[in-house]
Amino acid sequence: MNVADLIMERRSIRKCTTRPVEQELVVELLRNALRLQPSLENGSWRAVYAGTPEASKELTDYIYVQMTESKLGKLIPGKLMDVFKKRFSDIPAHLVVMAAKGPDRPSSDRNYAAICGLMQSFQLLGWERGLGMLWDTDPFLYHEGFFQGIGLREDETFVGILHLGYYDKVPKSRRRTPAERKWTVLQGSVT
Amino acid sequence: MTLSDLAGEMGRPVHFIDRPVSQQLILELLNCAVWAPNDGLREPWRFIFTDRRNGQELRGLQEPAPAYLLVVAKEEGDPHIQEEDFAAVCCLIQNFRLLAHEKGLGVRWTLHEWMYERSRTVTFGVGDNERLAAVLEIGYNAVHSEGEPAFTESPLPFELLGN
Ligand SMILES: Cc1cc2nc3c(=O)[nH]c(=O)nc-3n(C[C@H](O)[C@H](O)[C@H](O)COP(=O)(O)O)c2cc1C
Repeated sequence: MNVADLIMERRSIRKCTTRPVEQELVVELLRNALRLQPSLENGSWRAVYAGTPEASKELTDYIYVQMTESKLGKLIPGKLMDVFKKRFSDIPAHLVVMAAKGPDRPSSDRNYAAICGLMQSFQLLGWERGLGMLWDTDPFLYHEGFFQGIGLREDETFVGILHLGYYDKVPKSRRRTPAERKWTVLQGSVT
Repeated sequence: MTLSDLAGEMGRPVHFIDRPVSQQLILELLNCAVWAPNDGLREPWRFIFTDRRNGQELRGLQEPAPAYLLVVAKEEGDPHIQEEDFAAVCCLIQNFRLLAHEKGLGVRWTLHEWMYERSRTVTFGVGDNERLAAVLEIGYNAVHSEGEPAFTESPLPFELLGN
């Protein structure tokens, strides 16, 4: 598939099959994505992978521990909580991505930006191989229990979880606004 | 060309040749790049284009380039939403880089100190509820010589949960 078609045809996958995701494939895709992002320096990012049913369950527990203990969580019936958890732990694989903080805002942002670029390439490379993904930054992820579970360090920020799985059906695409409607041309001041 | 074919090439440094880049081509690439993932389909971006002739104001701030694309991100809502929007804009820029490369264009993705100074960004029309997320320096890329070093493989920071 050419690059333009790939970019337009990729969809976020929210419903995947139970087919396991091969760890070797994930590593290969990540390596290729990194080759498209040569500006990324060693030690400036990190990915933690949960690709077995046990690891997926462990990650789910880190996410829900806080919620279960919170006031709101106590109001949620146990059965319903199990449904929430199951939806998450049924996803075959998760890749948690973290960025190192730099000495100042521009360098942190530059690094964060390049990592987002890497994650986008990774999504595209996955799509090329029939592997679907969803980039998840749900606000309820942002708590101490989860950060500790994934081993986030002081000098790191959490960028997102990519949920990975194969899919039966490609969701319908949602139209984008043409670039012409978001376009300004700067005319130089005549000197 | 497939994406995997591009992998070996992106590691090479960008050297512009003196050839103008048309607005039409940039728009064409952007209309594909906007298929980037973005939370809530907020499409939190807009674009300001200028070229070497008209981009006098960028002199001293940016390296010389045949064309510049200022990518502006929405800066609305809470910090979490702003972060998601910045991430989405970066996905769009990544798409653009890949598409441009296929057309023989080189892209330097820059984010400098001055882009955080409102007094400067306002002169380019960046609003109060916006930020300048990047300036892309764009031009046709000189055909690289055979001898240039290829990308050196670095170790992959890939860990298993719980280890
Ligand atoms: C930084 C970022 C964060 C996202 N966070 C979420 C999320 O928390 N939940 C979700 O359902 N989708 C999330 N998405 C995916 C978008 O909802 C999705 O890209 C959008 O609906 C467009 O659909 P498409 O990717 O299929 O084109 C996120 C995307 C990005 C780039």
